[in-house]
Amino acid sequence: MNKKLIELACIIDDDDIYINLIKRVIETKKLCENLIVFKNGKQSIDYFEALLQNLEEDKIPDIIFIDLNMPVMDGWEFIEQFTKIKTKFNKLITLYIVSSSINPVDIDRAKSLNNIEGYLVKPIIIHELENIFNKSA
Amino acid sequence: MIQIKMPPKPIESNIGYLELKNNKIYCSKVFLSDIGYSKKDKNFSLDFFLNNLVHKDDCNQFRNNYFSFIKHNLDFRQSILIESKKGKYSEFVCTTKHDDVNLSNLDTKSKFLFFNKRKFKTNKKVNKHKFYYKEVAEMTSTGSWYVDLIKRKSYWDQQTRRILEYPEDYIPSINKSVSYYPKESFELVKKLFLKCSINGESFNTEIKMLTKNNREFWVRANGKPVFNEKKEIIGVRGVFQDIDETKAKELSLLRTSNIIASQNKRLFNFAHIVSHNLRSHTSNLSLVVELLNSTESKDEKLELINSVEDIASSLNDTIEHLNEVVTIQTSTNKSKSLVKFSESLKRVKISIGQIITKNRAIINSDFSEIDTINYIPAYLESILLNLITNSIKYKHPERDPIINIKSYIENSKLVLEITDNGIGIDLEKFGDKLFGMYKTFHYNKDAVGIGLFITKNQIEALHGEINVFSEVEKFTTFKITF
Repeated sequence: MNKKLIELACIIDDDDIYINLIKRVIETKKLCENLIVFKNGKQSIDYFEALLQNLEEDKIPDIIFIDLNMPVMDGWEFIEQFTKIKTKFNKLITLYIVSSSINPVDIDRAKSLNNIEGYLVKPIIIHELENIFNKSA
Repeated sequence: MIQIKMPPKPIESNIGYLELKNNKIYCSKVFLSDIGYSKKDKNFSLDFFLNNLVHKDDCNQFRNNYFSFIKHNLDFRQSILIESKKGKYSEFVCTTKHDDVNLSNLDTKSKFLFFNKRKFKTNKKVNKHKFYYKEVAEMTSTGSWYVDLIKRKSYWDQQTRRILEYPEDYIPSINKSVSYYPKESFELVKKLFLKCSINGESFNTEIKMLTKNNREFWVRANGKPVFNEKKEIIGVRGVFQDIDETKAKELSLLRTSNIIASQNKRLFNFAHIVSHNLRSHTSNLSLVVELLNSTESKDEKLELINSVEDIASSLNDTIEHLNEVVTIQTSTNKSKSLVKFSESLKRVKISIGQIITKNRAIINSDFSEIDTINYIPAYLESILLNLITNSIKYKHPERDPIINIKSYIENSKLVLEITDNGIGIDLEKFGDKLFGMYKTFHYNKDAVGIGLFITKNQIEALHGEINVFSEVEKFTTFKITF
């Protein structure tokens, strides 16, 4: 099968167990070529800001999955900061929220932001994740 | 039968009085003529005086005063309307003491009632109005006052004097107005009064006043400017009503509603925490199950089962944390006892002695203002422990931690303040999350995000308050108001 794959996906989450599991899903299902993981919003923003100084096409993710509740810089703040710089990348970067929060306040807030592609509630359903990767590829 | 008698020395002949001696009553000439009678009026008796001459509105009060004076020697002072022979009422101030008479020089068998005639005259119409006014004022506990800005004098009605517990002949003065209010409300009074007397702004406010006996109580105060023909402000007139009882109820209701609101908030928070923190584990568990189902490889299955162990252990941690929180909520009835800050601190220092030495932390304490508090001892230790370890954990990389702890009284509440010289925290960014569960703000591998959450819960469960002040790179202060 000659499936077109996402080059680089990015996961921002502070839950080690979740990261291990999701990595496993992505690897076994071969959903993307490469994967980068950050433990909180601050780490990833630092990464993106460094990228701006030295644009390397293959280091810009095509898709980002971000958790909301994280230490140091939470998902909301990341989205706010990221929105300010994302147009400078000359690349369409799709942003998904992945959170275990089913709090309607969070869900409504995500809906009100127009640069969020979707809000996924944990637990992630594997074939849904597959669909998203295939759609974005 | 009342008899006329020359005043015994040292009573001046111009003083009006009744002398009661051996069941006989003598009347001074001045008093008799003040009410229009003369020596020849033989029917002038005590009964006649009480029943016919004293105005019916004053009669009861006067009788009570009179008999307590005769039987129990209780001094009194009251204003009283007495009818003259011609049927006109004059106002007297009746007292048992007189400034110009030294009673100890008089016959001890005699008792004296002095009647000092008021200079102004009131007509019947005014009296009628005055009656209604008095009734209304008394029934509603409303006093009225006037400040003459030209003469720089202030005037009170009798009800004002009564409410403020001043004697009936007390003359108020502008200079003494600071003594009519407790310190905390005087600034507001000054502001309102100035605005009214300069800009002509009326006011209507609730404020605390102070009686002569230093009792604080709440009043509703209204005031408005008084103008002359040229539209200049010449005075301020106002009324105030004693609303202490209502206000006390209102305040207690407010306190109750605040407690309920804060409990409700904590419950809501707790429900949110439970749902969120448990969900993150259960969702991991579901993912594991899904992966287990989708894989055939035995090795992979084994690995996945290992991660179930991890999930179980972190689920267990979360449950333990939640349990800790529930325990706080339900154990507020745990016995409080008198605890010494210094003792608690000593125990905390011992229990984390290693951490303190390893980090070369210096802990200074000053409990000289107040060292004892009625609190749950375990909570106090837990609070101190959490805040001190917090300060050490987030010490500044370029200097050894110095922690200053002191206790003091502020607004009659006990305050404990803990200040460090650590890295500080950006309150604008994190202020509202600082005390949340599992919130950490620094790259620090021992940051769990439970300490401050527990601390806040412990303090609030006992109706206290914790606030934080900080400057990044400089200091952090936690202020606990018990």
